[in-house]
Amino acid sequence: MCSEGAGLLGKPIVEPVTVVRNERLAEGVGLLELESPRIARAARPGQFVHLRVAAGIDPLLRRPFSIHRVSGAHTEILYQVLGKGTRLMSEWEAGESTDAIGPLGTGWHVPDRVEHALLVAGGVGAAPLGMLAEDLADRGVAVTVALGAPTSERLVARDTFESVARRVEIATDDGSEGRTGYVTALTEALLASSAYDVTYACGPEVMARVVAAQCASAGVACQVSLERLMACGVGACLSCVVSTRSGLKRACADGPVFDAEEVLWDESEIPPKH
Amino acid sequence: MSPAPDMRVAIGALELRNPVMTASGTFASGREYADFVDLERLGAVVTKGVSLDPWQGNASPRIAETPAGMLNSIGLQNPGVEAFISRDLEWLAGIDVPVIVNVSGHSVAEYAAVVRRLEEDGRADAYEINISCPNVDEGGMAFGQECAPAASVISACREQTGRTLIAKLSPNVTDIVEIAHAVAGAGADAVSLINTLLGMAIDIDAFKPCLARGVGGLSGPAIKPVALRMVWEVSSAVDVPVIGMGGISNAEDAVEFLLAGASAVAIGTANFADPQTTVKVVDGISEFCRSRGIDRVAALTGALDDSAIAPRETR
Repeated sequence: MCSEGAGLLGKPIVEPVTVVRNERLAEGVGLLELESPRIARAARPGQFVHLRVAAGIDPLLRRPFSIHRVSGAHTEILYQVLGKGTRLMSEWEAGESTDAIGPLGTGWHVPDRVEHALLVAGGVGAAPLGMLAEDLADRGVAVTVALGAPTSERLVARDTFESVARRVEIATDDGSEGRTGYVTALTEALLASSAYDVTYACGPEVMARVVAAQCASAGVACQVSLERLMACGVGACLSCVVSTRSGLKRACADGPVFDAEEVLWDESEIPPKH
Repeated sequence: MSPAPDMRVAIGALELRNPVMTASGTFASGREYADFVDLERLGAVVTKGVSLDPWQGNASPRIAETPAGMLNSIGLQNPGVEAFISRDLEWLAGIDVPVIVNVSGHSVAEYAAVVRRLEEDGRADAYEINISCPNVDEGGMAFGQECAPAASVISACREQTGRTLIAKLSPNVTDIVEIAHAVAGAGADAVSLINTLLGMAIDIDAFKPCLARGVGGLSGPAIKPVALRMVWEVSSAVDVPVIGMGGISNAEDAVEFLLAGASAVAIGTANFADPQTTVKVVDGISEFCRSRGIDRVAALTGALDDSAIAPRETR
């Protein structure tokens, strides 16, 4: 069933992948570029790959990563070093082989007749938004990006956004670049001054929650990409559930992108480290 | 070159094309894995546990990774038997694979009611009675930790069905052989073991348990030696077939369980690391037999040469 070309039908596959580039972007943040022709061809913005981070049995579980961009046969991943698995990844060099399951998850939904979209990225929350920004620009949608990070060094994916967005606004916690403070101060001002058809947000869950509330007040549709600990990644194990108005949903198979109005934030937890 | 071995095995009245099943709770009802695995190559699909009414399961985080293993406290989240029949059994009916439905309950009456409803439907091939889930407050493992309650759940289910009835046993007991005797005496056609080992992990930065529930069930390669020992003990002492599971990641692991006395094996946590583990284990067992001139996989069951084991020290 997992035959050659299955990826073409949009079905996920297990694909052997090779590291092309593993670049340290900032303290604890890396960009991994994988040669993964079938996943790259099938991927849509907002989907993810479930990556094997070690041969053998320890660490045992795969790690889920949003697809940041695809370029030809290559898939790019932005990752933050948080635990054993990502520490191992940070040591990979070009030529390293592993495998990935993908593309997985639902991805962002782009409604008909979108003219102006707001993308909100907090730190490595920029990960699932790179390919979306490019895709929207290709469709002729005007893209505004609100990009936040603790410091200017950690404003990851800035080049990608600046190459396709009409406008990129920046906030840093320490004021080393752009506005001092959280990205949610930017989004408050942006939502008050311009008309957006849709907002796409990813970052710490507290950020996503504030952006969701701001969008609800402004009457702008909002989608959020949520992070959860995952085991299977394909919808079977029920590890990664998100509380929603229509019951428990699986971040891996029913998400990771959710309509922000559907999410019951109080019953959701801040994603723990892995 | 030797011919391909006969891979068929029997669990009670249930005949399987090979001894490799899925472990309940790790494979849903198979649909999520159908992109990766030809389900018709499996010995059986063992479904996620199903209860009478929908269960919400536990709060998150529900998993924590541990050395060569993982803890889970999913808590038997399931949509209840009616939704299970209309969605899962309906879908599985289109696949040529034996279906073993894992049954959960908060009470003896609930276990029996789930089996009764599934019997009305008639599409399950066998039942695995989960008296060993460590993640629910009422029922679950509480039934599987003492002989009398374990036997009453199995008796109540036995009254509802003539199909193959499997009791899934908990390793969180002093003497698993005693429980195996009790369920066999109550009418179980087979036993499956082990369910997860109760465990814990702590986040030292937060001073909190990693799991919202505090404790959960340990699975994965880390538990394999414990599972293997228990399969050996139970199969040596009890007359019913044993389905062995606990940390099986590859064909070599599976062969160890067969030699220890298992008639079949189940793959659980390994599906998460490699979704194609089940079929790789089928092929690997077949190749193991072929390369050694073993013509029937069933010949491996209990073939361990334990004649030279030194007597255990007694006090």
